[in-house]
Amino acid sequence: MLDAMRQQWLHGFLDLCLLCLLGERRDYGLGLAQRLAESGFGEIPGGTLYPSLLRLEKQGLVQADWVSSAVGPRRKYYRLTAEGRVAADERVAVWREFRQAMDRIADRADLAEVETA
Amino acid sequence: MTGDEWHGSFIRILLDQGVDPIEAQRISEDSRAEAIAARRHPAQLFGPAAAYATAVARAARPAPLNAPLARAKGPVVLRLTGVTKRYRRREVLRGVDLTLHAGEVAAVTGANGAGKSTLLDICAGTIKATSGVVERTARIGYAPQQHGVAPYLTAEEHFRLFGAVHRMGARKAVATGAHLAAGLGWRPRAGVVASQLSGGTQQKLNVVLGELSRPDLILLDEPYQGFDQDSYLDLWAQVYAWRDAGAGVLVVTHLLHDLDKVDHLLELQGAEDR
Repeated sequence: MLDAMRQQWLHGFLDLCLLCLLGERRDYGLGLAQRLAESGFGEIPGGTLYPSLLRLEKQGLVQADWVSSAVGPRRKYYRLTAEGRVAADERVAVWREFRQAMDRIADRADLAEVETA
Repeated sequence: MTGDEWHGSFIRILLDQGVDPIEAQRISEDSRAEAIAARRHPAQLFGPAAAYATAVARAARPAPLNAPLARAKGPVVLRLTGVTKRYRRREVLRGVDLTLHAGEVAAVTGANGAGKSTLLDICAGTIKATSGVVERTARIGYAPQQHGVAPYLTAEEHFRLFGAVHRMGARKAVATGAHLAAGLGWRPRAGVVASQLSGGTQQKLNVVLGELSRPDLILLDEPYQGFDQDSYLDLWAQVYAWRDAGAGVLVVTHLLHDLDKVDHLLELQGAEDR
């Protein structure tokens, strides 16, 4: 039940997460999955990650290029476009506002617990 | 399932979902290379081919328009003045007024039996108003709720037939029909007649036929019924695309939540006995 809820939330925030991570530096699919996992989101299935990247590409927020490497396999690297950078900034601002509202509500629930205790 | 089988069914389903063949090929090659780079079986990396293809096809479709584009209003394509419809003593519509310009969307809402479908039939000219004036442009496209498709004809035959009405060559009609169908996430199969299609797909056929001749006025009835949620969103994206291409669109709908973008909202009050 709680797992399903987490899953749903992540679905809603994955695009924003990807924009932020790509804003930091360009990366390929598995690299992004790793960084998401390290940030505490757990394992993101490829079936969720790649369609999200494709959507961002279609929206012109991300550009993808295949890059060959002397040591490893050819990899598809994603990076933010100028438009993607603007979208990332805007969405982060909206997210901060949203989080503050959520925190205020959640803090009230904490407070109520103290009073009933 | 071997990796090759996975990739084979992946691209097949992408095409079924209406993804452009060149795009489907590119996406399929990318997935193959991605799996090789990850040294994993595609099913391990992406999950089942069918589910992944559906998710990818959704992402690959053009994004719905979020903000209405700036556009110039065109000439009036539909004008209703005091339209009233009575069946014996039952009044279904009373004094309906509407002026719809090219490049505008009008939504018609109201409870069941409020006369929504009747109004659409009056706009299309298939039934007569009891009183009032209906003026409309000559080139209209009409996608009614149920009737409108011939059960024993295939989708291609429908395209040819409807194209012919508007003096369109057979080949062009079929190509245009297939292109419009792809926009709704549907690829018509050869040899399948309309009666074998699901209700939702029949309705997609209706919508394609309504649009085939690039009409100036498009009339749609309950087009989302039997559509899944994504197709429903695709359809509204399509409605706004038609509008931006300069058509006037009248849509009968039950859902109220995304009507903030429509230009006219016509709420029908319902039948009254007298």
